[in-house]
Amino acid sequence: MKTIEVKKPSGYFTQIGPAHPALKEPVMFNLDVEGERIIKADFAPGMSHRGIEWMGLRRNCIQVIYLAERICGICGITHSISFVRAVEQIAQIQVPVRAHYIRSIVGELERIHSHLLWAGVAAHELGFDSAFYLAWRVRENVMDLVEYLTGNRVHYAMIQIGGVRRDITREQFPRIEESMKFFDNAYDQLARVFLDDTTVQMRCRDCGVLTYEEARQLCPVGPTARASGIKKDVRVDHPYAGYADLDIEYMTPDRLTGEVRGDVYDRIVVRLLEVKQSIALVRQLLEQMPDGPLLAIPKPAVLLAKLKGAAGEAVGRHEAPRGEVMHYVRLEAGKDEPVSWKVKASSYSNYLSWIPMMEGEQIADIPIIAASIDPCISCTDRVALVQDGNRRVLTKAELHRLSVEKTRRIQASLSAR
Amino acid sequence: MTFPIVPDLLSSLFKKPNTNPFPAPQLPPTVTGLLDEVNQGKAELNPPVPAPERLRGKMTYNRETCIGCNLCIKVCPAHAIEAIPAVKKVRFYVSQCIQCGQCTEICPKQCLALSGEFLNASHDRYDRSLIVER
Amino acid sequence: MSVNEILLAAGGALIMAFFSMVGGLWFAGIDRVLAARMQARIGPPVRQPFLDIAKLMIKQNVVPANAIPWLFNGAPVVALASAVTILLYIPMAGIPGLPILQGHGDLVLIMYLLILPALAMVAGGLAAGSPYATIGAQREMVTMIAYELPLAATIIAFAWKFASLGIEHPFSLATVAAQPVWTLVGPVGFMGLLLLLVTMLLVVPGELGRIPFDAPEAETEIAGGLLVEYSGRNLALFTLSLAVKTIVVTSLIVGLFFPWNLTDILAVACCATTAAMINLAFFILKLLVVMFFSVTLVRISVARFRINQVVDVYWKILGVLALLGMFLVMADALF
Ligand code: SF4
Ligand code: SF4
Repeated sequence: MKTIEVKKPSGYFTQIGPAHPALKEPVMFNLDVEGERIIKADFAPGMSHRGIEWMGLRRNCIQVIYLAERICGICGITHSISFVRAVEQIAQIQVPVRAHYIRSIVGELERIHSHLLWAGVAAHELGFDSAFYLAWRVRENVMDLVEYLTGNRVHYAMIQIGGVRRDITREQFPRIEESMKFFDNAYDQLARVFLDDTTVQMRCRDCGVLTYEEARQLCPVGPTARASGIKKDVRVDHPYAGYADLDIEYMTPDRLTGEVRGDVYDRIVVRLLEVKQSIALVRQLLEQMPDGPLLAIPKPAVLLAKLKGAAGEAVGRHEAPRGEVMHYVRLEAGKDEPVSWKVKASSYSNYLSWIPMMEGEQIADIPIIAASIDPCISCTDRVALVQDGNRRVLTKAELHRLSVEKTRRIQASLSAR
Repeated sequence: MTFPIVPDLLSSLFKKPNTNPFPAPQLPPTVTGLLDEVNQGKAELNPPVPAPERLRGKMTYNRETCIGCNLCIKVCPAHAIEAIPAVKKVRFYVSQCIQCGQCTEICPKQCLALSGEFLNASHDRYDRSLIVER
Repeated sequence: MSVNEILLAAGGALIMAFFSMVGGLWFAGIDRVLAARMQARIGPPVRQPFLDIAKLMIKQNVVPANAIPWLFNGAPVVALASAVTILLYIPMAGIPGLPILQGHGDLVLIMYLLILPALAMVAGGLAAGSPYATIGAQREMVTMIAYELPLAATIIAFAWKFASLGIEHPFSLATVAAQPVWTLVGPVGFMGLLLLLVTMLLVVPGELGRIPFDAPEAETEIAGGLLVEYSGRNLALFTLSLAVKTIVVTSLIVGLFFPWNLTDILAVACCATTAAMINLAFFILKLLVVMFFSVTLVRISVARFRINQVVDVYWKILGVLALLGMFLVMADALF
């Protein structure tokens, strides 16, 4: 790509973030630039460590569901569903089928609103504010629907260990279908505005490319991976909730454009396609939803008692709008609180793709490239290492040494018992 | 060259704005001043978008039937409930409550419920209206 | 000029400065409301830019530690002063006594003067000592060079047309105002003029640093670029200079392409004051229409260009368009 380079004797170093209008959340980019071109890109996360796992280890499993729900401000079901899936495995609780379906419905509605939110943010990063207002205006409809179904716009509080807390009844179906019809039209309009617009094409085509090979090496998840042509989706690969019964396929950009380029434009295409896919899935879920109970263990007090007796470890996964989310949980008998809870947010897997995407592009492309993986930075940040007022990065060797030390400590304390 | 959003933009020029002007169409000089005027009946608020029936809003508590079992405290994720051991009752801090409704499900006496009331903002966390005791 | 004339001109300049600032801010308010309505929002009240300026004026004026203070503080004053100065050369609605410096400058001078506010911004940005401001300043220089080609092509086309008709002072704006250029050309030239009009309408957002040509400020990229370190009174002055510049460039387009007066069209005869009032109102309406199509509508219907795309668009698309327009206007004389 040609660039007008404002000649400088050599490259200079600049930083973007942690507080910058291009970034909706704190992360820092360290860039070597020459004129407008980025020669070398690096980033430093860890600016918004909230200690949420620490809080979780001081609450019982039912309380943690709501805490998990609040890891992200956009995904209201992502983290709670991953957490309860892990706990259900440990306590061997069989979730009723109807509850599975309801989980999937809420999950798909969430995908619609999250992708629309993203579309708005991306448009804003491009300076295309009208598309931003359009996307968010359209999104209001699904927010209203979610509020109607769950009682809240963002934090749905729908998930319970062993099922869901609220039913979606037959009387509510027409209201849902009404919204789905609305989104059929909205999809057409958004696809026109985002994909046919000349200026959007100028900014996004062949910008921030992540090739198939690079994606294979860096293992991104969700739309970021699929936009590079990687066929990967937890809903298809390891079906859970209601997804096993559905016609569901990988959404790669070639379905619409006939080719995979792995650029920012393709990431827009994938997300729009997924909005359309979610609409179809919601319809299908409503159609196939069986009758039955909502909860395996209806009484929360009984559930708490059962969880207190459960022991073991498990991993719960979910295909969030941004990609695979993973929760590792370890419970011990006689304890209400989990002894270990580890959250891997989807953005964690996507961060590294920033580097090949940014290198060689222009400073002007940083906002849209940063936004194109739809990063959820506060959800991802777990550790910030500060020693004597200085930030430090732990190397692999140090981490390994620390882990060995900890294992020794635990072994010693176990044998002392 | 295509600019598909232009027709939408031009047609919106002749439509009503999509924004619901809640609580007032433009930012008043002082928000508290506006609220004071509303309380005195001098001004009126624009109504918010109607909330759905099953919205989870402010807590209601039936003090009479409560037996002080403290189960609600055990599941409350936000530590919004305080026990009053002397009288075996509880107290709810709405400013802390996240309106998850988990307490309403575990209460053996069904003395808790979430109402649809959602305009609970105040500049004092411990305002009378934000502590539910009966 | 006698001393009297100079005093008169100075007084007039002050009055013009006041009215252009008020007018510019009012235009900015209208621009924001219109943009909001098109995006289905309510938007701010029309007086919002005035409130903003009032707020900026009472805020602290921060000068960064590694800035060059005299340049940093001087740039906004120069920007505003030069923007007002251009206005003194542009004829308005055939009102007697306007422009104040009638007969002293021509289109070429205006072209040069138009660079001044932008140069002041560049100087201020470079003096701010912030990497973002430096990037912004570099981009602003590139943008300036970029929109010069279509602008120059348009002005040359006009001058050529008038010169070819043997009219005296072909570069003078008074000449253009006296004879609406559309009446001088045939169908081919008409097409050419249309192209030139489109080009000029798209030069405006570049001149004013609005989307899609706002790479020098690019809020989401370089956090306001040139203006990132500016605050308080200095920022207010820059905002005012931008407001005045809006009036300047829209007046320039109206002056070049739509110099008609309402009283002439309707051929009404009334006293001079009434006529002036009517013409002024009509003139402001024309400015608003031009602003709507060149600023408001453009800035909300597209995404921002990268700086290399700014150059590409101005040179390869608009430049070619302007040159084509110019040739059509010239070719017109052959028929
Ligand atoms: S609704 Fe949730 S947060 Fe509020 S008091 Fe009940 S359990 Fe606590
Ligand atoms: S669970 Fe119900 S009965 Fe028990 S203390 Fe709470 S409100 Fe009272």
